[in-house]
Amino acid sequence: MVREQGPFKHSNPWPHIAWITVAAVSIASFLIGFLVLGRIQQNGPALGGWAALCRAIGITADRGPASEPQPPQRTPTRIAWTQDTLARIGSGKEQHGAFVALSCAACHGEGGVSSSALFPTLAGMNAAAIYKQLDDFRSGKRVWAAMGAIATALSDQDSADVAAYFAHRPSGLAPVAGEGKPRGGRSLRQRDPAIRLVFAGDPERGIPPCAACHGPDAERLGAPALQGQHAEYIERQLAAFAQGVRQNDINEQMRVIAHELKPSEMHAVAGFYGTAGEHE
Amino acid sequence: MQRSSRLALFHYWVAFAVFLPAALLGAWQMLVRSPLPAPLDDSAAYYASVTLHGTAMAYVVTTFFIMGFGYALAATSLARPLRGMTAAWIGFAICLAGTLMAVVAILAGRASVLYTFYPPLLASGWYYGGAFLLIAGSMIWVVLMILNMRAWKRDNPARPVPLPMFAITATAILWAWSATPTLIELGGILLPRAFGWSDLIDASLARTLFSVTLHSIVYFWLMPAYIAFYTLVPLAAGGRMYSDTMGRLAFIMLFVFSLPVGMHHLLMDPEHGSGFKFLQSFLTFLVVLPTLLTVFSTCASLEIAGRIRGGRGLLGWIGALPWNEPMVLAVGLSLVMLGFGGFGGLINMSFAMNAMIHNTSWVTAHFHLMFGGAVVIMYFAIAYEMWPRITGKPLRSKTLARAQLWLWFFGMLITTIPWHIAGLMGQPRRVAAFDYADPLLARMGPLVVISVIGGVILLASAILLIVILARSHFGARVATEPLGYATAVNPPIRLPPALNGFGLWNAIVAVLMLLAYGYPIGQFFFMKPHSVPAVAVTGRPDSSRQP
Repeated sequence: MVREQGPFKHSNPWPHIAWITVAAVSIASFLIGFLVLGRIQQNGPALGGWAALCRAIGITADRGPASEPQPPQRTPTRIAWTQDTLARIGSGKEQHGAFVALSCAACHGEGGVSSSALFPTLAGMNAAAIYKQLDDFRSGKRVWAAMGAIATALSDQDSADVAAYFAHRPSGLAPVAGEGKPRGGRSLRQRDPAIRLVFAGDPERGIPPCAACHGPDAERLGAPALQGQHAEYIERQLAAFAQGVRQNDINEQMRVIAHELKPSEMHAVAGFYGTAGEHE
Repeated sequence: MQRSSRLALFHYWVAFAVFLPAALLGAWQMLVRSPLPAPLDDSAAYYASVTLHGTAMAYVVTTFFIMGFGYALAATSLARPLRGMTAAWIGFAICLAGTLMAVVAILAGRASVLYTFYPPLLASGWYYGGAFLLIAGSMIWVVLMILNMRAWKRDNPARPVPLPMFAITATAILWAWSATPTLIELGGILLPRAFGWSDLIDASLARTLFSVTLHSIVYFWLMPAYIAFYTLVPLAAGGRMYSDTMGRLAFIMLFVFSLPVGMHHLLMDPEHGSGFKFLQSFLTFLVVLPTLLTVFSTCASLEIAGRIRGGRGLLGWIGALPWNEPMVLAVGLSLVMLGFGGFGGLINMSFAMNAMIHNTSWVTAHFHLMFGGAVVIMYFAIAYEMWPRITGKPLRSKTLARAQLWLWFFGMLITTIPWHIAGLMGQPRRVAAFDYADPLLARMGPLVVISVIGGVILLASAILLIVILARSHFGARVATEPLGYATAVNPPIRLPPALNGFGLWNAIVAVLMLLAYGYPIGQFFFMKPHSVPAVAVTGRPDSSRQP
């Protein structure tokens, strides 16, 4: 045993024993896992050898359309968060966006800071959220008086540009930032329904915390930051989701949540976001 | 103080300095998710805290402790100065810098991804950068362990490598295999996304890479405990090691069978076929073999010691053991927890049974019992054994040390047994808020409260540990024996090369990894594009290109 021998030299018994053991274990588990179990572990009739093998390596055969009749498909929005969508939003040019935004100021205020509770503040809103809403107005997935016509007049690039412009306007919505300092009472033990719903939700009714997507500490792609938004506007949107008047939430999450909220809770939550982010 | 001793001591300091605050966070987390009133009950803070607790305990404490243990072991078991001291200090500095980066990112609330690197959850680049540095820095330790063993073999061609050195080198090589996929995931997928160089993330590939690390890392943590079972426990008990060859075999089998098995962490994931999941479940079962060998061998070593000390009859030797030695007490408590935890583990790794307990508190309870219990209690015993020998300042009181071990043992059982049961009832893990008014959750309430009591006991034990080490540190210096290792009943004189090196075993691991992960990882490179947008959990990821 002066020098270590290479793994493939068969002059001492150890490599032999080790390789044979490993080969036996591997072959046995491959046979069981890929052929035997694949064939018999089905709810339906046993699979053939080839189908079982495909299933074992993760290629399932049942990828075709279901044969049962399906209800007509209804898509809530044309936007999906694909590479292309993100790249298009990322290509927005603020300078041109400022030009496009001239036509927004009448309702949404100078620089996107709305003074009317009828119109949302856009300054500081996530560009992806603005871009998506514009596309939804254009395609008629979301309906509101003048916005459909205005959005139709905008090109795709205009939408991305104006979204980039408003996203970078100051003194509107409070920026979403991870907050380091823990604060007591942001849990289900909280008595104040607004703070409880915003930070802990209501698991019993399947309501996730608003803050998980809309800030103040966290955000989710496509969800607008709410801190500093007009309370009345938020409350009206919640009611619209609850009544099914507004249906452009991609995964139906806002319709489900709003449906579970009592009117008093909508008011309280909207009030929380409306006042908590008030800017001097 | 020897230079390598100072090196080991610095590593231990970092490990235990991180351990205490992390234990405090753990106790607070138990309280927040219980029905009891809790200070600072902020769900966001809970997730940040879980991230910090997990990162600290699983990555920082372990890596620093094992590196320090390895340096001390190499110097003492080879009985010559450690080679590559400068590189070792550089590695220490890199690991420390990485730790600080990660901790700052978590405390800033920008990395609450719950300490696993599972996209599409995405944390700040500082967190991933810190983790990358911590792991990359530990690779210097890996290289040094291998080089020191090689150099010794070259200088002592006719002698077998001492078992402690052989085992710690197995640990180092295991860690190199284990950590590489996560380094690739961090460097190739997570960091580019966190720095905004890409918008999408290949979540399936990233999860698969992380799963390779996620199981073998557990054996990286476990190995020092097993090294203590074989080489330190028999000596502390006043006997001899039952079999040197069995030790080598156990370490080799742990190395080989802990790697191609990580997919049992992905049994519920859709991106892999059932065949590979079964294959890796099957291989996972083989890890039971070296564990049973070790339990047998450790008991046999203890029996030898007990009989030398005058124990008679079938079980009389147990009473004759020196239970007042912290190391002997720790091995007894550790084996009990290993037994409980091991049976739970059989369920986690089973392809079919796993579905019952997937993502429930059962899983958290299991790894706390195995790692936090069976393994960490041996870390304590190792610290009690090594600290005095490194500093020359003995423990002031072994009674206090025994009390600390007992507290940890009972604390861990009181925490984890109800936790297991709550998991079986379906309580999800990693959730900050439970509405215990819900009839479905109401019956879990009392169990969670018992777990909180266990958590407080564990915290008390953690504080006691630091007190004991500090008391020793500020005590008087006395001449102490250098660290010794148990000799086997039949010390090895000639060994087959396969039991004295890792060439053969590396080749076998390479083949097994190719079989187990070749297709599962390879498929992502010829499948249609399937990446998804990453989900930044708190705030915006730093300098991200997020629109």
